[in-house]
Amino acid sequence: MSSDASHDLELLRAVAAGDEEALGRLYDRHAGWLTVRLSRRCSSPEVVDQAVQDTFLALWRGAETYRGGGDVGAFIWGIGIRRLIDALRREGPSMRWSWSTRRSKSSEVVVSAEDQVLVGVEHGRLAPALASLSPELRAALEATVLDGLTTAEAARLLGVAEGTVKSRCHRARQALRAALADAQGPTLPNEHTWGTT
Amino acid sequence: MDEMTTDVDLAVRVEGLSRRYGPVRALDDVEMGMGRGITGLLGPNGAGKTTLLSILATINQPDAGRVSVFGLDPADTAQRVEIRRRLGFLPQELGFHRHFTVAGFLDYVAILKEIVDRRRRAEEVARVLAAVGLQGMAGRRIRALSGGMRQRLGIAQALLGDPDLLLLDEPTAGLDPEQQLRFRELLSNLPGDPTIVLSTHQVDDVSAICSHVVVLLAGKVRFTGTPAELADTAAGHVWTSHQRDPHALLSWRGGDNRWRHLGERPPAGVEVTAATVDEGYLLLSHTVDNPSTTRGWRRVGRRDR
Amino acid sequence: MTTPFPDQVASADGPGGHLGGEVLAAYATNRLDEVAAWSVEAHVTTCSACRVALRAFVDRDRLARNRSVLLAAAAVGEPGPARRLLSRVGVPEHLLGLLAATPSLRRSWLLSVLGVLAVVAGESVLANHLWNRGSGSTWGVLVPFLLVGPLLVLGGVALAFLPLFDPSHQLAAAAPFPGVNLLLARAVSALLAALLPVAVAAFFVPGPGWLPAAMLLPCLAVWCVALAAVTVVGATAAAVVSAATWVLPVIVVAASHPALAVVRWHAQVAWAALAAAAAVVAFVRRDRFEMGWTR
Ligand SMILES: Nc1ncnc2c1ncn2[C@@H]1O[C@H](COP(=O)(O)OP(=O)(O)OP(=O)(O)O)[C@@H](O)[C@H]1O
Ligand SMILES: [Mg+2]
Ligand SMILES: [Zn+2]
Repeated sequence: MSSDASHDLELLRAVAAGDEEALGRLYDRHAGWLTVRLSRRCSSPEVVDQAVQDTFLALWRGAETYRGGGDVGAFIWGIGIRRLIDALRREGPSMRWSWSTRRSKSSEVVVSAEDQVLVGVEHGRLAPALASLSPELRAALEATVLDGLTTAEAARLLGVAEGTVKSRCHRARQALRAALADAQGPTLPNEHTWGTT
Repeated sequence: MDEMTTDVDLAVRVEGLSRRYGPVRALDDVEMGMGRGITGLLGPNGAGKTTLLSILATINQPDAGRVSVFGLDPADTAQRVEIRRRLGFLPQELGFHRHFTVAGFLDYVAILKEIVDRRRRAEEVARVLAAVGLQGMAGRRIRALSGGMRQRLGIAQALLGDPDLLLLDEPTAGLDPEQQLRFRELLSNLPGDPTIVLSTHQVDDVSAICSHVVVLLAGKVRFTGTPAELADTAAGHVWTSHQRDPHALLSWRGGDNRWRHLGERPPAGVEVTAATVDEGYLLLSHTVDNPSTTRGWRRVGRRDR
Repeated sequence: MTTPFPDQVASADGPGGHLGGEVLAAYATNRLDEVAAWSVEAHVTTCSACRVALRAFVDRDRLARNRSVLLAAAAVGEPGPARRLLSRVGVPEHLLGLLAATPSLRRSWLLSVLGVLAVVAGESVLANHLWNRGSGSTWGVLVPFLLVGPLLVLGGVALAFLPLFDPSHQLAAAAPFPGVNLLLARAVSALLAALLPVAVAAFFVPGPGWLPAAMLLPCLAVWCVALAAVTVVGATAAAVVSAATWVLPVIVVAASHPALAVVRWHAQVAWAALAAAAAVVAFVRRDRFEMGWTR
């Protein structure tokens, strides 16, 4: 895995230096998951494809450079989600998921106990607390915490006013705090525990 | 004119078309129609193929006659632009800005074809590059391409924007045998069933993919029909024997050591065989009074004897 | 579709501590609840192996198609600093793309403009230095500079409209993009690219302080004449004609008057009138710009 990481770093460097073959290889390694992950935030495959291409073009043109530190995946995700916001702005708001119908609230898939440990779902009481949030609050939390967006960016992604994002995040945190109050579970998630930078 | 525009089957109609360059009659009272499918233009050097194609491509003006492309008249400014919107054109001698990359050149042509959106252009560029098998070359400088690759790049630019009419002036010149076959495959698989007119010196191309043939000789149309009909014009004019035949216009020895002859009239008692498209074309260019070709051939024949 | 997820299938990747194939599949096909999906995303952000595994859930053809579009877009080439600046100012991106094929904006041409200007300006500085020792100030030393400035503009325009300099001009002619727009985009950029260095050089040559400003109108006039002439005669003849409209007056005036008379204010009026007249001709006959259709 660490050799994978250093491989990614090499590729990033080669891409910024104008190596087309490296661009192709970087795409092969990262376009798949990026497409999957962006598809959960935008209903239009065309817009997602645009965002994915723009992500790699930004790396190619040297518009975004990796300064070390976090994982390459987090770095690419940070570019990808912002390109998606740009693409959504170009295409108009109709392409966004409507948040209330976005996903079934309960999983259609029963996640096994082992996998639950792995994905961290069963950590304390966080999962049920999160699940109890209204979709709007959860979406605001997802954009700002999981996706690592600023309030302004989150507002653009969700198609609401910046103030709305702020108040929803605030309300979400309050609700979580209340739900977690009795249990001595983990504290509120912040950006680092969710692995994004 | 009414008659021309109502004829839906014919994408291209030409009537009484003439074009002179000084004393040279490059096109002389040309009359033809081209429908869906692939039309092959055959003719020796200087026959007027390039002149005809450039007039159809709206970059050359006839001295006389009428042209109608999709019922539109290229002499009218607005209609000319409309024709150009539906046109893909490969000139015989396409020059390149040599500092361009392959993709950069296609992007430039795509802008000229009014594909304004940057992303759509990238998609088109990728599509036509894949169509001619140059997808791995997108970032290469044009000056670093081989001649055949440049020819394929020329074909690729003609495909930009899915034209309804493709005018290709000697598209297979310089292609290796595999690429020639790939080119045929490409033309057979174009979406939207465009009208294709190509000029060529390779009769093979015509018999393989063209639904129609037009033979131009010294600016005049000497034949129009299907490749099979062109072959039929030499029916009864091809025969085989065990030795040379002085009555023949042309004689050549096949791999099986038998001589094959093409001539006006086979002598009595010889074995007459079916003619090929090449032979139909050759016979046509020899029987028509065409000094540039006929004399040359005869002289060689006489010295051989 | 509901996939039961029995305990024994968990974590197909085994001991590595990675997500099982079925969890990934459920995530990729949007069948996980949001909270589980959050966890998957948090893991995937830092786990290379699970990222790679997710690729299997995207349509191969879609990935391949986007890959080739990406590589094509990357190979088109980056816009240079000048183009990026112009697009900031609001020039449409596709117009800038056309300029990529304009020889008057190539570095080699810009460098030769600068080179010629440096030689001519340096020469007049030197000549002025020598002359002024003997007699009083005379602007005769400026004649070479006066001659060359507008001719450089003209050279740039000629590069823009002579088919000789556009190897793929047949494609431009057969394309729907209006010939007049293409020519104007090229000619305007050529004008600007030459006008700027000429005006700057005019600061350095020995002359009155108003000389840089006085050069602008003649340059513009010659430019307009070139565009008007190309609608009337062939491209080469047009270049010659417009060169003559500048060179002849300069020589004639220099023979009998102080050289600067050709750019003094009464001359400026004449240049302005000429520019306006030529512009009107070019505008009225703009259809004739269409390459290939004009014979
Ligand atoms: N621009 C021109 N100026 C003068 N003569 C020309 C010009 N273009 C073509 N011709 C003449 O017109 C005739 C037809 O030329 P054209 O290029 O159409 O022939 P072609 O059939 O394409 O020949 P090839 O097989 O060699 O390409 C020739 O005699 C040629 O010399
Ligand atoms: Mg030709
Ligand atoms: Zn993992």
